[in-house]
Amino acid sequence: MSDILGTTVFTGERSQRGYRLNLMAMSLTDPANREQFKAHETGYMHGMGLTETEIDMVKRRDWPATIEAGGSIYLMIKIAGVLGQNLLQVGAQMRGQTVEQFMATRPGLRGH
Amino acid sequence: MAHIIGGIGSSHAPSIAQAWDKGQQAVPLWAPLFDGYVPVKRWLDAQRPDLMVIIYNDHMSRFFFDAYPTFALGVADSFPQADEGWGRRDLPDLPGDSAFGWHLARSLIEDEFDPTICQDMAIDHGIYSVLPMLTDARWPAPVVPIAVNVIQHPLPTARRLFRLGQAIRRAVETLPQDHRVVVIGTGGLSHQLHGERFGLVDPAWDNGFLDLLESDPESLAALSHHEYMLRGGAESVEMILWLAMRAALGGKVKRVHRNYHAPLITGYGLLALES
Repeated sequence: MSDILGTTVFTGERSQRGYRLNLMAMSLTDPANREQFKAHETGYMHGMGLTETEIDMVKRRDWPATIEAGGSIYLMIKIAGVLGQNLLQVGAQMRGQTVEQFMATRPGLRGH
Repeated sequence: MAHIIGGIGSSHAPSIAQAWDKGQQAVPLWAPLFDGYVPVKRWLDAQRPDLMVIIYNDHMSRFFFDAYPTFALGVADSFPQADEGWGRRDLPDLPGDSAFGWHLARSLIEDEFDPTICQDMAIDHGIYSVLPMLTDARWPAPVVPIAVNVIQHPLPTARRLFRLGQAIRRAVETLPQDHRVVVIGTGGLSHQLHGERFGLVDPAWDNGFLDLLESDPESLAALSHHEYMLRGGAESVEMILWLAMRAALGGKVKRVHRNYHAPLITGYGLLALES
């Protein structure tokens, strides 16, 4: 957390802490790795050297926990994407809302 | 002598690319965004640029934290599209211009900017989500990409980006060829993609930024990252990339077109200026 409420600034120190998690996510820019991850989620993460705690947060799709553990949002959405979740689903979870609740807060079709 | 004919600031986002690829240009949610690009597309077409210098940021597609460049300059005759984690779009590689790339490298380094020189630089939505809206050609002129770290703090300051733009202008003006150069800055505007503030959008701040970018860009160069993040969300700090575009145009500019649309989780801004 930073002194801006509800905000985690991605500092170098956080980046260092989340290195394994972020590297695993980066590997998913290769389509062959995406297939492997989808087929053997836990095994793939073990192979990338993630800790049991890190593996568990991905398996639970606990995105706030991954950010707290040093994940970059730009990389966590690559993991989410392979697992069939989009940014709106990830974001709604971080706000503690359903996607429907979150979308109700958007100007959307009102065109603002 | 080459000269800068104008500049374009534009938001970039995967959502723009998705809506574009789905052919949603005319649906009510997206039409106010895509329609805004039509006058700028006409302008750019009429300008017949010979080169496009594009200041953008990579989103962990080409660069990783093993060696993360603060500034990365692409020097190659073509730039492939990056796979960001969900496959490439049906768009061709971008043409580059190595000769200008090396000229820019030499000029920037003499000017005390020290970019990482990349001879193989895959490009993500930081450029690819924007260019199809700006031109029907695939593509109208060679691209010289400059990627900036706006992700892993410490980041270069807003003032540094402003000075980068001034250095780009000096580089263009020392190029012997009579090239017509457009400078494009992409990113922002307000958005936060994580945490309880996910979804933050502030149209008043975004439009104030667009006003000042035109009339008093130095005041924006004086703001801290903290101020940008506080007002527009942590990820909106990308807005400083527009300052490089603006500074490259020099003092007085004439507005070609401006557009703003904020339907979901990002303020989509567009500003085209003639120098």
